Amino acid sequence: MESFGRALREKGFAYLIVGPFAIVLAFPFYVMFITAFKDQTEFYNPEVTPYWFGKDSPTWANATFLFENTQYPRWLANTAIVGLCVVAITLVLALPAGYALARLAGRVGQSLGVGIFLTYLVPPTLLFIPLFWVINQVNLQNSIWSLVLVYPSFTVPFSTWLLMGFFKTIPKELEDAALVDGASRLKTLTRVVFPISLPGILTVVIFSFSLVVNEFVYAFTFISPSENKMVSTGVYTDLIRGDLPEWGAIMVAALIPSIPLALLYNMFLDRFIAGFTGGAFR
Amino acid sequence: MEALAAARPRGRRWTDVFERPGVLASVLISPAVVFVLVLVGGPLILAIGLSFTNATSGELGGKWVGLANFRNEWSNPSFQHAVWHTFQFTFISQAIVLVGAGLLAHALSKNFRGKWFLRFLILLPWAAPLPLSLMAWKWMFDTSYSIFNWTLVHLNLVDKVDPPQYLAESKLAIGSVIAVHAWRILPFALVIFLAGLASIPKEVDDAAAIDGATGFRKFWSVTLPLQLPIATVALLFGIVFTATDMAVVYILTQGGPPPSFSTEMVTTWAYKTGIESGSLGPGAAISLFLLPVLAVVTILMLLFARKAEVS
Amino acid sequence: MASSDDPSRREGRYDRRELIRRAGVGAATVGFAPAFYGPLRFKGRWLKGDLSLITWAHFVPAFDVWFDKTWAVQWGQRNDVEVKVDHILNTLLTARAQAEAAAKNGHDIFFNLSPPAQHEDNVINHNEIVQEVQRKVGKIGRIAHKATFNPKTKKYFAFSDNYVPDPVIWRHDLWNGIGLSPNNWDNVRKAAPRLKALGHPIGIGQSAELDSNMALMSFLMCFGSFVQNEKHQVTLKSKRTVEAVKFMADIYQRGETDEIFGWDPAGNNNFIYSGKGSMIFNAISATRTPEDRNLPFANDLWIWPIPKGPYGRMGYEHVMGCWWVWKFAKNQAAAKKFLADLEINYQDAFVASKYYNFPSFPGAFGFSKIRKAVATDKHRPLGKYGILTTIAQKYTTNPGHPGYANAAFDEMFNKFLIPKMFAQVSQKKMTAQEAVNAADREIKTIYRKWRALKKI
Repeated sequence: MESFGRALREKGFAYLIVGPFAIVLAFPFYVMFITAFKDQTEFYNPEVTPYWFGKDSPTWANATFLFENTQYPRWLANTAIVGLCVVAITLVLALPAGYALARLAGRVGQSLGVGIFLTYLVPPTLLFIPLFWVINQVNLQNSIWSLVLVYPSFTVPFSTWLLMGFFKTIPKELEDAALVDGASRLKTLTRVVFPISLPGILTVVIFSFSLVVNEFVYAFTFISPSENKMVSTGVYTDLIRGDLPEWGAIMVAALIPSIPLALLYNMFLDRFIAGFTGGAFR
Repeated sequence: MEALAAARPRGRRWTDVFERPGVLASVLISPAVVFVLVLVGGPLILAIGLSFTNATSGELGGKWVGLANFRNEWSNPSFQHAVWHTFQFTFISQAIVLVGAGLLAHALSKNFRGKWFLRFLILLPWAAPLPLSLMAWKWMFDTSYSIFNWTLVHLNLVDKVDPPQYLAESKLAIGSVIAVHAWRILPFALVIFLAGLASIPKEVDDAAAIDGATGFRKFWSVTLPLQLPIATVALLFGIVFTATDMAVVYILTQGGPPPSFSTEMVTTWAYKTGIESGSLGPGAAISLFLLPVLAVVTILMLLFARKAEVS
Repeated sequence: MASSDDPSRREGRYDRRELIRRAGVGAATVGFAPAFYGPLRFKGRWLKGDLSLITWAHFVPAFDVWFDKTWAVQWGQRNDVEVKVDHILNTLLTARAQAEAAAKNGHDIFFNLSPPAQHEDNVINHNEIVQEVQRKVGKIGRIAHKATFNPKTKKYFAFSDNYVPDPVIWRHDLWNGIGLSPNNWDNVRKAAPRLKALGHPIGIGQSAELDSNMALMSFLMCFGSFVQNEKHQVTLKSKRTVEAVKFMADIYQRGETDEIFGWDPAGNNNFIYSGKGSMIFNAISATRTPEDRNLPFANDLWIWPIPKGPYGRMGYEHVMGCWWVWKFAKNQAAAKKFLADLEINYQDAFVASKYYNFPSFPGAFGFSKIRKAVATDKHRPLGKYGILTTIAQKYTTNPGHPGYANAAFDEMFNKFLIPKMFAQVSQKKMTAQEAVNAADREIKTIYRKWRALKKI
């Protein structure tokens, strides 16, 4: 009986915390949703409630506008391609590095880990000019591959850190067992460690992808033609005309990637947490 | 380790060189290091070089002026205010994120009905492309059409003609900017904390239960200390990402509002000086102010995290 | 779903949308096609060269449609050049220019809404283009000359094709109700508290954005106060400046609301669109949008010149369109010809922009011709756009007046030091004298820096 009461209290406590946070965090998306499907004239009319549609709404006009007048689908595709490539490169670079720093490198490794981290301390608003010069030297300007080249520079350090932390939670006994059985270190890595690192990999995927989707300065500087822009830059630079943003279309554009990505992250989250749970290695 | 290594017959394949931890480590780390050094290190050195010159638009170098840029720019009161605002912005938003994410992680570690959906809602700010969600916030704070003011006016709580202006009044502006930034960082920190919580070995959990530690007591004496290393790293990343971020301020307030410019950060001030006005040398000098400060903060926090981990 | 196909709703409200639709298709055609088939599709077949431009997304979508789909395409065919035009949000043009200048690579022709004084060393000498156009249509306008010419180096560092006069836009119905009009600043000061009491305050921005900069600096000129003189020395500290600042502070304290400190370029527009605002300082985008969206008071929005101050009636242009050709541009001959031809034929551009773009060379489309053209505008009150010509002819001058535009002036502009000065007094954070002194000091520091770089 007592434990039932406690369970109820704990669940109540959970709802009490999670509920309000969820509402506050998701509220802007509700506003986005209403605005996205609202007729633009109602939008500018302060008499119409911003919490719901007016007489002339909901309407597809904003979505139609977005798809017919901008290269939005292309931007989505560009972002997806860049995201996937950057994630792949990040994994290739950060997985080994994270492992090495966690297991093999000792004191030097720690300092190196810190060193890699220090690259974050420089704002991209300082780096983007020399980087643009580099991009021009390798003739990648206006191409999405310029971003594939540059983005790993900020996804790799963070991912290395994540994986370092993750690898430390894997009990050494597993690797030692393999080594005792006669496997080389390399083999241990490939046959034993990396397969178990799925949760770590998922983490890197989520974080790197989110960094790519949110980035603005480099995407804006390196790429000028409309058809090659990313979602963040394309919408922001093409849908604001002087002093008039196309609000409805902007809101539609904001919703379309957010919902699937949030669903994806949510799904990955379960796997990724399961991987961290100490109990996986009984 | 040595005993295990010795158990393997040696000297038979070229791959044996990888048996030595040092070599293997170098091989595994070097691609990442080289990549980052080239792409970040190179431009960084160039930028540092710029700060010692009087370079203007279109130049990647200029006449050497020694420390003049640093002296001139760092003594500018507008810059000093920007530093203070950056400090406020960073630490207050991160404090909010830390407490919020910590609480949420704890609450989400149990199972309850609707958890998946609520978690989805919580992840949304992080999933949305930043410039686009900022446009939504800009609309929500709009001087004429703000949904908050519409609500307050209709509840008869504020004057219709002169309602609160979230981006126009000094204190409200910095508050709004902090709130929006915390809003978008929170899911990110939450995920890190969830990982941390999940990595607490079950034995510790069981032991705590046996000892009768539950709820808050458990949180304080068990969860918190074990979370400390990961919380420190999460906080560190949060601080770094916040201090070097320009998007939130740029899109919402452009560093205003006059006369206090309460949302002017080091990053936006550097941008106005260097990029918009073309004063590249001084602009670089302003940007570089953050580097040593954040480096010190980083090293201190990492040391702290390591200590917390060991104990 | 609401029927957006209702024909009675279509006209007017969806005008803008239709035009943007065409702009999108146009831009896609001009820009997309080469990307699909490769940038060199036309090379060697029937077009000789390439020309790449970047410009802003014009708030009048029809202008971009005309520019990308009609003008650039036809010019390209006539001159054997494939023209590609990129558009981005105007506030980001500066950063992009910076990157291209540093990388010595990018578009052939660049556009911005203010003169690129800081890029003088990175661009060609545009004298040739100016001479060519002057040969065909007559002398360059005074404003454009002062804005794009460096008297020290005798170089035109940009080619200005257009400027936008800056009127006040006011609600005739509301002002009529209190029996006043914004003919001079004294009337404005009288009217402001009364309008606010009616729930319809005026709004002269004191925010960190372009419109506020323009409005306040124009206001200073009406009071005889100038930031710099002909010799480009800072002349802000004066009795007239103090008087002007006090005047505006009085207007704010008795007759405006706090939002004027938090606007972005769309802020004062929204102020009007919501029906609340009774007067703003803005280009005609603030009247065109109510027309397009069929807002109920669209016909009550009047367009007048800046109110008269003790020293007269004078204002800056709202924005000045400046094109420039980078030194590293690959096709400089085509670039020069493109710009010259554009200006010589500016009549079409003027009409396509719905009278937003006034030609920088008055001869390209004379003022009397402009008057005739704007008289045909159907919106009420009839002939409302005619005043733009008067403003352009008599009451508009270049930023930096009586001197020339320069990099130091730009930096002061980008840091919003003038709105800062006004806001300090309006919000009673400093006395007028203190605020003026502080601003004067800060601006002088900037001027000293650029003078040392020999840029002024």
